[in-house]
Amino acid sequence: MNITTRAQTAFAYTVLVTLAVLVLFPFYWMTITSFKSEDQMRSLVSMFWPRPLVGENYGQLLSKTDFVAWYGNSATVAIASTLLATAVGTIGAYALARLRFLGRGFLASATLITYLVPPSILFIPLYAQMRNLGLANSLGGLIAAYPSFTVPFVTWLLMGYFESIPEELEEAAMIDGATRFGAFSRIVLPLAAPGVLAAALYAFTQAWNEFLYALVFITDGRLRTLPVGLASFITGDVYGWGYLMAGAVLTTLPVIAAYIYLQKYMVEGLTAGGVKG
Amino acid sequence: MAVRAASVGTKAAFNGRLNGGLRRVLGPDYRMGYLFVTPIFFFVLSLVGYPFCYAIYLSMTHKLVGLPPIFVGFENYVRLTWDGFFQRAVVNSFIFTFGSVGFKLVLGVVMALVLTSPIRWRSFWTGVLLIPWVAPTVVSALNFLWIFDGSLGVLNYLLVRVLRVLPQGIGWLSEPGTAMASVVAVNIWRGFPFFGISFLAGMKAIPAELYEAAAVDGATTLQRFRHVTLPGIRNIMIIVVLLSTIWTFNDFQIVYILTKGGPGGTTMVMPVLTYETAFGAQRLGEAIAVALYLLPALAVTIMVLARYMRRGRRR
Repeated sequence: MNITTRAQTAFAYTVLVTLAVLVLFPFYWMTITSFKSEDQMRSLVSMFWPRPLVGENYGQLLSKTDFVAWYGNSATVAIASTLLATAVGTIGAYALARLRFLGRGFLASATLITYLVPPSILFIPLYAQMRNLGLANSLGGLIAAYPSFTVPFVTWLLMGYFESIPEELEEAAMIDGATRFGAFSRIVLPLAAPGVLAAALYAFTQAWNEFLYALVFITDGRLRTLPVGLASFITGDVYGWGYLMAGAVLTTLPVIAAYIYLQKYMVEGLTAGGVKG
Repeated sequence: MAVRAASVGTKAAFNGRLNGGLRRVLGPDYRMGYLFVTPIFFFVLSLVGYPFCYAIYLSMTHKLVGLPPIFVGFENYVRLTWDGFFQRAVVNSFIFTFGSVGFKLVLGVVMALVLTSPIRWRSFWTGVLLIPWVAPTVVSALNFLWIFDGSLGVLNYLLVRVLRVLPQGIGWLSEPGTAMASVVAVNIWRGFPFFGISFLAGMKAIPAELYEAAAVDGATTLQRFRHVTLPGIRNIMIIVVLLSTIWTFNDFQIVYILTKGGPGGTTMVMPVLTYETAFGAQRLGEAIAVALYLLPALAVTIMVLARYMRRGRRR
């Protein structure tokens, strides 16, 4: 290693550490706030560590608010809409990537364009639609609406994945007597499993984090999802920062846990989702 | 018996011919193809196609919540054009979007460059820097609401008591001079990792021979960056910038949670104005007109972007 590359590496580490501090600090701050007592927060002492370290914020959050109900709502909505989007997106992506039929190119473009249409345009007519269907102010309405962004995303992501699996494998299976469907379910699907998993996880985080539709569709306080429920804590005059941050910690945990566990797949999913090549 | 067998035979042959004809018109895999895309077709049509058309119709009506719409043509659009508050929201949206996207682009390139340099624990660093992108946006927005807090926030504590660069705290989100910069900063914080990870993928795909050839020709680091790296990730840059422009322009959560468009409209952007007009003022027709006002520009952006994304896939 010569001097310039060594200087460059040192510089790279400096930049990395700076970025990492900026990225992690809000999460560190959220976590220690959730363990601080109300008194400590107000008196600005021992800013960077809870003293005393208390769990009362969590107790208050779980016993005095609808947080537990919101957690269940978010889990229900996110899991149901993820299963739906993954099933629909997987077979659809296979058809759009591999099968030859009239209208395929058009439908592939339409799916991609759908993915790019922003929710800020759709939320009012979708709300009107859900109300007509009797699905406003229900978790069913959210489960029905979330595929508007998860289905196009999963389809677009998996189209790329299916295209990267060599077609010869299916051809060989079909020469050996497998049907087209058999080739899909026994050869292609197992090979695409990591991609399907990445797409499902990403759809899950999108549904878990969704805010606008949940804010607009749900009026009943107990039916809120986590993001809207958390945000509703700030409408009062006095914010209980302690229990708000405790709620923020518990809301972030499942997403971060899934992400750490499956980082490799998710990173692939993130990049391929927007862009490839 | 013989007759029956013969008729079965003709029927099969007929079916075969019909099927052959359909196959020629609709493509060899039409049965499984249509079966597999029907659900997508249904979702796209009912959740995006139909609401979109309904939105265009509603934007040309006077529609109050709970009452039937009255058709008024382009009146909503004409009125908005001369409405000072709306004009300000348009300007704010552009400031918010281009301020954010510009910084995200620069930070994204920096992030990709440091992650491609010879460092240890590369995947650990990549994972850490991606956290803002995967964490729930509402959580991040609430974190910053707390960090920016005028009296008890940690940012003021750091600047006033630790670093002593300010004589007294600033109400970052409640003063007109700092509110826009603060919400832009949060948007940058959340969005730059997506730029970084996309550029990183692009840089990894650049053949090492190109760098070696440039080094043999005596190119400096800066020249290699300009003439090898940048052209190599050009397409990805275009795609990511356009995607982020659409997303940022339509970002609702960050501004809604941090300022709700305040103070005094200084951070009022179009999506928040849409929401406020619809559910605060209860004027649905006008609200959708706000959302659709820049539709021609959005449509062009989407078309260009979709073309780049499909081309990127084909290679």
